[in-house]
Amino acid sequence: MAHIHLQDGSFTLFWVFVWWALCLALIGVALILVRRKKPDPNKIAVAAFVTAAAFAVFQVQIPIAGGIHLNLTPLIGILAGPVLAPLVAFIINILSAAIGHGGWSLIGANAVVNISEVLVGYYTFSALKKIIKTPFYCAGIATFSGLFVGNVVMIAIILISGIQGVNQPQAQVLAGLSLVAAVNMGVAVIEAFVTGFIVSSITRIRPDLLNGSQP
Amino acid sequence: MKIPDRFRGPALFLIMAILAILAGVIGYRLTGPMGIEERYASAVGLFSPESGGSSGFSLEGNLFLYLIILAVLFGICYYAYRQMDKKKN
Repeated sequence: MAHIHLQDGSFTLFWVFVWWALCLALIGVALILVRRKKPDPNKIAVAAFVTAAAFAVFQVQIPIAGGIHLNLTPLIGILAGPVLAPLVAFIINILSAAIGHGGWSLIGANAVVNISEVLVGYYTFSALKKIIKTPFYCAGIATFSGLFVGNVVMIAIILISGIQGVNQPQAQVLAGLSLVAAVNMGVAVIEAFVTGFIVSSITRIRPDLLNGSQP
Repeated sequence: MKIPDRFRGPALFLIMAILAILAGVIGYRLTGPMGIEERYASAVGLFSPESGGSSGFSLEGNLFLYLIILAVLFGICYYAYRQMDKKKN
């Protein structure tokens, strides 16, 4: 749910380049790992499915708390794994900007936020699998963790970059963004249930697809 | 007090859900009904016209482009699924 909903021109050109550079560095590492590990067609098919599903859901504004949208980023991490999931998150951000959801200059920053969500979602799920036997709870807790970290990263990026044309003190911006993050965490409950149900269904019907959650 | 293994997952999930709902309710009560962009603009101190939020399901961005991209993605999924099936058989 943590997606920086600001328009192009909100960040200075310097910070646009910084976040794009960080994002491309992460994507570069993911691509090197893809070339080295050669993921099997199963994993690539799962990555394609989650890209389509997350893109479809990402654009739909749900009339809760004035309007929210789901991200499904922790689900992407759990299903596609830590190598393919950052690529999926990057592609979704580009496609979203292409249809007018989010600015082009913010793709770098938004991809960094989403990559943090997919990675935390994946690693939390993998760690919890060993101690909690029910996939629903593992996926739900991984979703809360991923989205919480995503919100923290989102706030950090905005505070570090600053917003052009805004004269508010940092503390006031932090207070405002904390409220946005609080609303986002409320929405995370819906996302945790959705992710939990999807992962537990897949575990029952097609457990082989969850092999994507192995690194 | 030690929590039995089978209650660990539900207990942790429930605690996180309750905390998240509380945070969401407090955040919503303090900001009021707003659309996503409006909430962000207000948080960072940018001017944005008041919309009062959306009352129904809506789509962010251009609907036509959304459908085209979705159709292409479905095509890619179908191809990837066929490849996966081919490898299995």
